[in-house]
Formats: sequence, structure tokens, C-alpha cells
Amino acid sequence: MTTDDLLVDPETLREQVRDKYREVAIDPHARFHFHTGRPLAAKLGYENAVVAALPDRAVESFAGVGNPFSLRRLQPGERVVDIGSGAGFDSFVAAAQVGREGRVIGVDMTPEMLAKSRATAVQLDLHHVAFRDGLAEALPVVDGWADAVISNGVINLCADKQAVFAEIRRVLRPGGVLQYADIANGRIVPPEALRDIDLWTG
Amino acid sequence: MLDESGFVDIQIGPPVDTFGGATGQEKARAFDVYGYAFSARKPE
Repeated sequence: MTTDDLLVDPETLREQVRDKYREVAIDPHARFHFHTGRPLAAKLGYENAVVAALPDRAVESFAGVGNPFSLRRLQPGERVVDIGSGAGFDSFVAAAQVGREGRVIGVDMTPEMLAKSRATAVQLDLHHVAFRDGLAEALPVVDGWADAVISNGVINLCADKQAVFAEIRRVLRPGGVLQYADIANGRIVPPEALRDIDLWTG
Repeated sequence: MLDESGFVDIQIGPPVDTFGGATGQEKARAFDVYGYAFSARKPE
């Protein structure tokens, strides 16, 4: 698929997404068109004890749209990639589920989010969690490394979803699991709206 | 799209009113937008 085949320009969309989530990282209590933080985690059914154990910095910028752990709990020792890890909330939940024998790699493209997630990992002394700068369409992970890939509200923000799913297949081992949350619409969106890049992030 | 991408054993969880009570609620309602959990497996 070429850039001309896509509904919106991927790089322009990335810039808008970075701008939006930079705000969420820096000023998480500002008003956004979506919920954030601990109230959102409760609304989405995350385990209270797991969320309560995390420091505010790990939770306040959480802006997911569902619960990627609701259909399957990660298993101890699994290797996990978190696409669009943001300030690290889902990566830290994953880290608790896989335990110290497992590994979690969070990938994000927003520097302010990466700075928060890395600082929290240090604060929590979590050596089995790492955060890398990268794109969903070009994950900085070797072929077949992951037992599971998670993501939350990120793939809908990618212009080329086929490329993202192909990349997820590349990093998963045979038999590996993709478990993610995202939004879906029940009514047809008009073509002009699909090409309105402002609607993708707002 | 998951099956087109070669994934199998696809499961979809119940809808979650992700934007309910947020300022994005009006736009979400206009297109019946909800959050969902998905799971799928890469074939052996």
C-alpha cells in the first residue's frame, strides 16, 4: 500500500498524535475529549489492587479505550511488546502479570511519554521492563521475540493499519497472541469524515 | 482486518462506553463508537 492509498498522510497524523499525547504526558489533568488516569482505569475494569500499587506518574497519563487484559491474562515468564506504551500504565500491569522472569518492551514515539515511563520503571526498580522509541509500523523488536503483543487505543491512530498488523505478526512467535483494546464504530463514517485528519485525534 | 492479516482464533469482548461522560461523547455517539478488547493468535 502506498501513502497515496491511505486516507490521511501518516506523518502528518503522527505529528498530530504526538502533539496530543505530549499534552497528556505534561498536563494529564487538563480537559481532553477522552477520560484519563485512575478514573478511566476503574471504568475499564482494571484490577483495583494492581492500579493502586502504581505511582501517580504511571497512571495519570493513561488514556486507553479498553482493557487488553480482559480476554486473556498474561502468563508468568512471557515476553510482551506494548505498542504505544505512553507513560507505561499497561506495560506496568503487564510486568506484574509476567513477573520478574518475563520481559516487557514498551514502544512509543512521544519523547515526553518515554521520559515518564522510563522514570517510573527506575522508581519501581523494574529491570524486566524497557521502553524504546519507535513506531507501530516499525517496531524496534527482533523477529519472533514476543509471546504476546498488547496495545490500547493506538492502532486506530495509525494511518496504515495493515502495516501495523504485519509488523505485529513479525514480532510475535508462531502461536503468539495479540491482545489489544481499540475503538470501533457501529455506523458508517462518511468518506469526507474519514479523510478529515482532525477527526482522527479529536 | 485481523483475519485478512493472517490471525486466527479471533475474539472480541463486549463494548465499553469509553467516551461516556467525556467531552468526546457527542462525536462518539454520532458514529456508535465504543471500546472493545480483541484477541487473536498468530498461527503456529
